[in-house]
Amino acid sequence: MRAYFALPSLLQASLLLVLLAAPALNSARANSLEVDLAKPDVRLDVSFKGSELLLFGAKDLAGDIIVVVRGPRKDTSVRFKERIMGVWVATDEVIFAQTPAFYALASSRPIADLLPLSVLKKEKIGTEHLNLDVADKPDGINAARVKEFFAGLLRNMARKNLYTLEPGQINLVGNQLFRTDLWFPANVVVGDYAIDTYMIANGRIKSKRTTQLRVHKVGLEAQVYDFAHEQALLYGLLAIIIAVMSGWTANLVFKKRG
Amino acid sequence: MQIYLPIAEVSVNIFLILGMGGGIGFLSGLFGVGGGFLMTPLLIFIGIPPAVAVGTEANQIVASSISGVLAHWKRGNVDVKMGVMLLIGGVIGSSLGVWLFTFLKTLGQIDLVIKLSYVAFLGIIGTLMLIESLNAMRRAKKAAPSKLHHHIFLHALPFKMRFRRSKLYVSALLPIGVGAVVGILAAIMGVGGGFVMIPAMIYLLGMPTAVVVGTSLFQIIFVTANVTVLQAVNNFSVDVMLAVLLLIGAVIGAQFGAKAGAKLKGEQLRILLALMVIGVCIKIGLDLTLTPDDLYVLDTATGGH
Repeated sequence: MRAYFALPSLLQASLLLVLLAAPALNSARANSLEVDLAKPDVRLDVSFKGSELLLFGAKDLAGDIIVVVRGPRKDTSVRFKERIMGVWVATDEVIFAQTPAFYALASSRPIADLLPLSVLKKEKIGTEHLNLDVADKPDGINAARVKEFFAGLLRNMARKNLYTLEPGQINLVGNQLFRTDLWFPANVVVGDYAIDTYMIANGRIKSKRTTQLRVHKVGLEAQVYDFAHEQALLYGLLAIIIAVMSGWTANLVFKKRG
Repeated sequence: MQIYLPIAEVSVNIFLILGMGGGIGFLSGLFGVGGGFLMTPLLIFIGIPPAVAVGTEANQIVASSISGVLAHWKRGNVDVKMGVMLLIGGVIGSSLGVWLFTFLKTLGQIDLVIKLSYVAFLGIIGTLMLIESLNAMRRAKKAAPSKLHHHIFLHALPFKMRFRRSKLYVSALLPIGVGAVVGILAAIMGVGGGFVMIPAMIYLLGMPTAVVVGTSLFQIIFVTANVTVLQAVNNFSVDVMLAVLLLIGAVIGAQFGAKAGAKLKGEQLRILLALMVIGVCIKIGLDLTLTPDDLYVLDTATGGH
């Protein structure tokens, strides 16, 4: 694992130097912000058990930094359980449209100190400001009730470590450099991620950069997944053949032992 | 040691999975049940998505059933003819069950109705079985030989067939009917139905307990093989990597289970099985009545995979 990181960190160190030099040379250009990742993608291989990804960058202002990571979006259903005659039953269902499958947040200072609420809402910084559209809900459910469903959604996603409710730390190195470790848990969803980096000064967003990140399976994981999806019938039959062979083998082994 | 699963899309501990497979395989070889009703919740508990748990579990049961059936075969405890009849019924029943399930779903709250009737069903079967086997054990001590089974009106049905291994001469409609009823239940409940099938074979068909275990396993192979293919094609929810880990443990466990079963008397086996059925009943009952950690749940069925 160490060796694997050695090369990127070398690259990243030199990149940091370049980035550091660039705004210094070109200080006339205002509000410059540069962002990069230690690796261009998150690779899910057989040994994957969650992965840390270094995000680093340089800025030419003595401002703060907020980083927001958003995963691929899909409609997500939240159901409410209530007790009916002693038994817990899932009853009402609210479906939130285009819910990100992953949401992580990091900041160099408490976010409430950096930006006014209106800006946080507009940029959807913080899970509480996701402001998801409701794709479907039971008739006669009011906005306050939908909010409770939304809070339930956030709790569930946080429990799965897919949403960070409390922002992570961004370290500022001097006035111009910053870095943070983004954590992708083992149950991370495959797809295209967008990382927004904001440079903040005096309660305003001075600059914003969006970095794309691909989370994908590689090697055996990708092969098995593709096979299961592209040749489903063959895959199913093969699964049975494996099962039959192993059952048979176990029996032979035990027969010999008596 | 962790391994990342390509279909389940989570990372699991290899030894934990091997151990779970071994434990369930042992029960499978001992009782002739598939073990899906225990394994599926366990898999979901350790973080496997429910759809993948069901699909993969079916694949593992194929392996442990084959391992178990071969072990029972050596002792002459598999009634293939009876198994085939049950299977014919099972195919009819599960097709009916899938249709029934779709229909009931449109009425709403079907999950609840199913679970409640399941609890009642298992509670009654388990209790009756426990009482019967305890009585049988007491009688055995007094050493009064009793009849193999009681002759009731069911034995007057046409199409009589001789089942040599089971020492029975009954209508073929009987095992087909039993298979069909279990098939309906299995399709609706999403379980293999082994622990419903076994009491039915013992008490409705009057088969000897030892033969019941082997024959049930024989029948389960085909049911779960069918489920595996259907799940792989319709839901892409069979994780071969997870299945292989599970079945390594399971095929070994099934061999030990079959060996342990051979050392037990019929009524002892039935007592243990009754206790397990009651245990499952209590477990489902608790799931329904205990206050959940969070009243709001994500509906994973709409996962879109």
